[in-house]
Amino acid sequence: MNCPIKTRNLELLVDFAAGGLNPETASALERHLAGCDACRSMAADQTAVWKALDAWEAPPVSPGFDRRLYRRIDEVARFSWWERLTRAFRRMPLSQAVPLTASAGLLLMAGLLLHRPGRIPPVASRGEVVRANQVERTLDDLELLRQFGTADSKESAHSDAM
Amino acid sequence: MGVAAAATLDLDAELMLRVKDGDAASFGVLLEKHRVPVTRFVYRLVQEQAVSEELAQEVFLRVYRSRSSYEPTAKFKTWLFRIASHLALNWLRDEKHERGQERLDDLSTDLPARQITDRRPSVEQELLYEVKLKEIRRAVAELPDKQRAAVLMHKYEEMEYTQIAKVLGCSESAVKSLLFRAYVTLRARLAHMGIT
Repeated sequence: MNCPIKTRNLELLVDFAAGGLNPETASALERHLAGCDACRSMAADQTAVWKALDAWEAPPVSPGFDRRLYRRIDEVARFSWWERLTRAFRRMPLSQAVPLTASAGLLLMAGLLLHRPGRIPPVASRGEVVRANQVERTLDDLELLRQFGTADSKESAHSDAM
Repeated sequence: MGVAAAATLDLDAELMLRVKDGDAASFGVLLEKHRVPVTRFVYRLVQEQAVSEELAQEVFLRVYRSRSSYEPTAKFKTWLFRIASHLALNWLRDEKHERGQERLDDLSTDLPARQITDRRPSVEQELLYEVKLKEIRRAVAELPDKQRAAVLMHKYEEMEYTQIAKVLGCSESAVKSLLFRAYVTLRARLAHMGIT
């Protein structure tokens, strides 16, 4: 066998210390070590370090590991629903998304404030008409705001270009 | 790549493809198999148990989150340890900025329970063991990050050079060089303990 140090084949000594060589290579190296002080010394050092590292044991994994992990996975699953809901808004430019979100919030608040079940007579058909009108108005408002936002951004782009 | 093709790659990759198809039980099997090696590897890198468990959970969480885009282009374990190394090395980098070398003086606070062949060690033996262990941990902790990761995968996870190279994103010869330099440093640092 060629000298591992002279041939820069040092992983052979590392693998020897780790017990990772096949029996034939290990025997050939052992024969070489018997006549090569430098390799023998390096192999002994490496074996000593390898054995020293054996003393370092990692602590056991705590019993609640899986429970905590699955809880986090559940949270991720819930969050992904919210992601889907808000994806449409995130694609919009900020100039459109902000007024739209604000308008939707205002409409929701107004709806909550105006909705007083005690005062409104419980006529199902009327309630449905009112809600349908409200939805229509809201959609119109949102469309108007979207158009306004688009026109606004085009205008600003035009003025910027000029 | 289909399930049959992945089976030639490794069983874990096949399980991961089942997870991709919505089989939650296969994720449980993968977790059961790799929970300890991943946590142990991360623990030896960051040397703090609570942090290592948090990071190990993040590893499995990322595996779960990326299930839909998973393609078995490498061994599953290589992919897993690549995520683990990435997270742990990032944590170490951030931690270095925050705390400097302070943590190295605090290694004895997180010593694992000792398992020894002699069931009744004397106080002296126990103290000697703790001193030796602290020195080993310090010597490993002071290695450059990539060398440390390479040594831990080589020594404790018994990973091959090619696998370590894929995890660390470098060539096999670079891994051999990293390992050799790391072991030279360890020999020098641990020599005063009478190891060499």
